[in-house]
Amino acid sequence: MSPGLEVTGPRRAPALEVTGLGVRYRRTWALRDCSLSVPKGSVAALVGPNGAGKTTLMHAAVGLLRPALGGVRVAGEAAFVAQDKPLYESFTVAEMLVFGRRTNTRWDGAAAADRLAGLGIPPGRKVGALSGGQRAQVAVTLALACRPDLLVLDEPLANLDPLARHDVMRSIMAEVAERELTVLLSSHVVSDLEETCDWLVVLNGGRLQVSGDIEELLDGHLVLTGPDGASAAGTRVVGASRTGRQVTMLVRGAPPLDPRWQARRPGLEELVMGYLRSPESAALPGLAGVGA
Amino acid sequence: MIWVTWRQHRAQIIVTAGFLAVLGVLLLGSAVEASRYVAEHAPPGCPGPAVACGEVAVALGRRYDAVYSVFGWMPLVLPALIGAFWGAPLLAREYERGTHRLAWTQSVPVWRWLAVKLSLLGGAVVAGGLLLSVMVSLWRPVFRTGVDSTFGNIGVFNMVGVAPAAWWLYAFALGTAAGSLFRRTLPAMALVVAGVAVSMFTLFQLSDHYAEPARAELSGTVLLDDHDARLVRAAWVEPSGREVAEPAGTGCPRRVDVGQSSRNAEAWQACLFGKGYRYAVYYHPPSRFWRFQWTEAGILALASAALGALAVRRTLH
Amino acid sequence: MIEFTLDRGSGVSTYLQLVHQVKQALRLGTLRPGDQLPTARQVVESLAINPNTVLKAYRELEREGLVEGRPGMGTFVRQGVAGATLAEHTRLRRALEAWVRDARAAGLDQEDLRALFAVVLADAAKEGVA
Repeated sequence: MSPGLEVTGPRRAPALEVTGLGVRYRRTWALRDCSLSVPKGSVAALVGPNGAGKTTLMHAAVGLLRPALGGVRVAGEAAFVAQDKPLYESFTVAEMLVFGRRTNTRWDGAAAADRLAGLGIPPGRKVGALSGGQRAQVAVTLALACRPDLLVLDEPLANLDPLARHDVMRSIMAEVAERELTVLLSSHVVSDLEETCDWLVVLNGGRLQVSGDIEELLDGHLVLTGPDGASAAGTRVVGASRTGRQVTMLVRGAPPLDPRWQARRPGLEELVMGYLRSPESAALPGLAGVGA
Repeated sequence: MIWVTWRQHRAQIIVTAGFLAVLGVLLLGSAVEASRYVAEHAPPGCPGPAVACGEVAVALGRRYDAVYSVFGWMPLVLPALIGAFWGAPLLAREYERGTHRLAWTQSVPVWRWLAVKLSLLGGAVVAGGLLLSVMVSLWRPVFRTGVDSTFGNIGVFNMVGVAPAAWWLYAFALGTAAGSLFRRTLPAMALVVAGVAVSMFTLFQLSDHYAEPARAELSGTVLLDDHDARLVRAAWVEPSGREVAEPAGTGCPRRVDVGQSSRNAEAWQACLFGKGYRYAVYYHPPSRFWRFQWTEAGILALASAALGALAVRRTLH
Repeated sequence: MIEFTLDRGSGVSTYLQLVHQVKQALRLGTLRPGDQLPTARQVVESLAINPNTVLKAYRELEREGLVEGRPGMGTFVRQGVAGATLAEHTRLRRALEAWVRDARAAGLDQEDLRALFAVVLADAAKEGVA
């Protein structure tokens, strides 16, 4: 076990720090007033509907675009696996590794070759002839071979079958277990992230809605079910839905005094959905402290 | 990065090198064949005024035409191809396939990626252009010594000296810039083809102004005794010394020629010359070959630099 | 060595599932004092979960005194689960089997049995005897 994986203990230094980030495409803002930090060694999930600004945030983090406002700071080197895992189709797998070696100062070619051999991906095969899962593995291997401090993955699991999703996640998690690596990965399927991520960032319509430790967030929220009219005083309502005379609410804070409420801890998906349905709500460290 | 550039563009490099090799073999073969023909058929004393010499010269001209017609289209088509297949895909294909997000997120900074690719490929293109020029320059004298030089025919002019290298570089830069603007290979290719054609026509028009034309006053003929000069314009000079475009009130009858004949025009010209008119011709003599070559190369190099800068700016955003 | 599995639909948090599986293995004797638990990397490689989750589970087991981490070597079992011994376990299991047969004879189906068991378990928890 590596020593850098403490969950509790003092707050870890940030691996990624975003301050007042604003990105504009022509006249529309893709990202506005976005400030967050992801602590070292965490696996952060970046979730939000399509067009929320996830890719924009990631591109800003890896320097693919220059923000109009604010800035992004990465502690150390970042590696990026873009959406659809772009690779050179006419290259063989081995040539992709040469490409990585020639375009990077840090490069662990032996580890990369071992990984691909372990996955049974033939080095002589053309990239264009790989299956979706193999392609994803090659892209992830290239990114990991740079020995990055921050690994940014844009929709790494999209278009993969369940087995390939599992395999890709295993590869990434094994690397996290091995050394101090921070991961930022985006998905619009929350259930993909349930067991793998310990940090949550929710973007919605170009604005940051949630940023914090997943356990603390889940501990700080409750799902209340009760009759319409029951008092939820003392809590902060994130969102509510009514069916007939029954109300279901996602709230922050301690359970309310009204005994008619049934309270339970939300699941990750419930928490995310609750926020996405109420774009005006936010749970940010800067506003009220995570898990108030 | 050198390996990356080679690996990504080796198809273009190999095809271009192969083309130049085939062309070289063709030119060499045709030159050797022509030399052998001359050795066998030309009697001693040729070139000279003998009838046999004329026959050899005509046969040589025919041999020249056969090969020239094969690559007569090259001055226009080759730069267009270079622009379309070397320049246009350079950035456009990366954008099109999304691989710019791979290439530009490695530790090599984008500006270096661009610098290496532009300088290596640009250098290769210039070398290819120069090689073409050398081959054509070595081949032509076998047939054309004493017939014409390489100045008057704009097609030949663009295949010798530094012109091919300049045109190839310009087309490459144009393709790269178009790729950075459209971010799609096909539209960028189309723009290159159109752009090279328009540029060539424009520079051809412009080339009259590369230098102050020389002036010659002719009497008795309207034809300059230099096949290889570039005519800029001509005018009639009245006996008083005034230049006019169309002599009026001369008293010389002017009739329209029918068919291929130019008898009426010649009669009119002879009448004018008889009345003391002279014919002024403004032209560029072939001795200005290098001046024109370097002027054109300079313009194209500047344009290439501007287009390259545009592509870099667009890419670095 | 123990091999962990994951029930993703159970609603029980991942780290608790790992804790339960270790305890279960201790009860059944498949894990004995001195045995080594798989490293975080090994667990992660088979389950594709966050390594911090594994460490959290191991820390919980350590807190309960069941395992101990030896720096640079790994995590090892210290002692079996306190409370029921293996013999007692067998006796209780027999009694439960008899009860299930009884309930079946009374016409309860699988679902009824589960519900009844859950209710009794919950009530017992409330009274603080579980």
